[in-house]
Amino acid sequence: MSAIRDLAAAVADGTRPARSVAAETARALERTGGLNATLDWSAELLEAQAGAVDESATKGSLAGVPVALKDNIVTTDQPVTCGSRLLEGYRSPYNATVVERLRAAGALTAIKTNLDEFAMGSSTEHSAFGRVLHPTDPDRVPGGSSGGSAALVAAGVVPAALGSETGGSVRQPASFCGVVGIKPSYGRVSRFGLVAFGSSLDCISALGATVEDAARVLHVISGADPRDATTLAAGPVELLPPRQDLRGVTIGLPRECFPPDLDPGVRAGCDRAIAALRELGAEVREVSLTHTGYGVATYYVIAPAEASANLARYDGVRYGQRRLDGAVDVRGLYRATRGAGFGAEVKRRIVIGTYVLSSGYYDAYYAKAQRVRGLIAEDYRRLFQDDGVDYLFTPTTPTVAFRAGERTADPVAMYLADIFTVGACLAGLPAVSLPIGRSNGLPVGGQLVGPVMREAELLAVAGALEAIVPGADEVR
Amino acid sequence: MSVKREEVLRAAQLAEIAVPPEDVDQLVADMARIVDYVSQLGSVPDAAVDRFVPGPPKTPLRRDAVDPIPLARPPEATAPEYVDGFFVVPKLGAMGGE
Repeated sequence: MSAIRDLAAAVADGTRPARSVAAETARALERTGGLNATLDWSAELLEAQAGAVDESATKGSLAGVPVALKDNIVTTDQPVTCGSRLLEGYRSPYNATVVERLRAAGALTAIKTNLDEFAMGSSTEHSAFGRVLHPTDPDRVPGGSSGGSAALVAAGVVPAALGSETGGSVRQPASFCGVVGIKPSYGRVSRFGLVAFGSSLDCISALGATVEDAARVLHVISGADPRDATTLAAGPVELLPPRQDLRGVTIGLPRECFPPDLDPGVRAGCDRAIAALRELGAEVREVSLTHTGYGVATYYVIAPAEASANLARYDGVRYGQRRLDGAVDVRGLYRATRGAGFGAEVKRRIVIGTYVLSSGYYDAYYAKAQRVRGLIAEDYRRLFQDDGVDYLFTPTTPTVAFRAGERTADPVAMYLADIFTVGACLAGLPAVSLPIGRSNGLPVGGQLVGPVMREAELLAVAGALEAIVPGADEVR
Repeated sequence: MSVKREEVLRAAQLAEIAVPPEDVDQLVADMARIVDYVSQLGSVPDAAVDRFVPGPPKTPLRRDAVDPIPLARPPEATAPEYVDGFFVVPKLGAMGGE
């Protein structure tokens, strides 16, 4: 199932000009403007990119395919704001590696999507440019921080989009919006041109209407990049067909990811997906990821610590809308610029990150979180290497999409939306969320996690599950 | 409360973030909520596990050469103020001595 494969083939054989795709996409973007899913898009740039595709003798694997970009991925021809007032008006002097690769494959990329400011959030309510509406229920959130990308794919405006993950920021909105989200292994996709948040966690990730659509985009953007020293020495993620069955495959169900208070609709969706995995011939058994309960706490020490360093550059000198507000020295300029430019959630995380790195607290928080991260990674290693487990299946999120405003008053309640997704980020593992049903009309997502560098095989398993689990059906 | 008002203000100062007086109480309350939550890590027994570092096992070394970086626009187009190769700040007092 791939709209992308069919569209690229039609553009390649000339039956569908890329220009007509660009025009149709522009109309769809206008029609869905009320979702507030985009921060910038350009009909002229889409048309120009499409024209180049139509006139090129060679057509790439994404010829004429619109792929939206989360607005923390830089391009030279559009502004990049990261959802922050502080970067309003900023234009990058270079293109991200993923953008160069998408364009080389023929993709139309002139669509920048809304996000939580600097990718810090789980609802896209922390964008300085207003919240993104859930495409099914405008009173609810689309998840975050890649909420704009997920909403655009769910609304059918684009067949695929890029997001970024630090703690679950693609899989969680994919789950909330009823689309597919793939986070690759850490280092599988170049971070060159991704505005840094948590450098030991950040992964550019793909969203698509189907597993194959997301996989086709991941195939194009993945592979080693000399401009990012943390990329793994490997080529692109191979495209494999969905498995016909799962005989000989062992799938673990971590008991910590199925707590008694799991949302009943999410549980019903998971029960049906687990039955489908068995029906496909997989051996499904309960396992333990002992330190799952500590994942969110570990993440909310390490990620803010890294963010406090990465965001130090936004000081009104090198970047940012400069503010003085009566400052009488350079330090006052920094503080005024950052105090006025950053939103409340970003300020909270920078201050927390600075606190856990400061003398007197470093050992108790940051060093301790690093040790717990090692324990979390060891939990996964043991299952995959010692216990004969091939993949893990869990709910992607503990609930379906929640109502706007429901969690903004309590930062920890918001953070807990990522409880089942942070583990793969902390351990650097690939994971995919796919729709497994609906509960009262709202999408439910199921997650498969695999060993490092095994994206292709993981997606072939996800494709098998997708083929027999109707993601649009009510489960409860 | 696990974190004191003066500790929050000190961390904000170290982070170079101005906090308006009317926002301090909320920031202190949020920080306390978060610090209380992450304090659960203290109850995890330490074990002999290596620190986990994701990515390649060894950082690849680049060729020891300075190559031009093709930029679509120069630094003066991105910084608030830039003159003769320098990022410029307004003429103000000295750097604060904290």
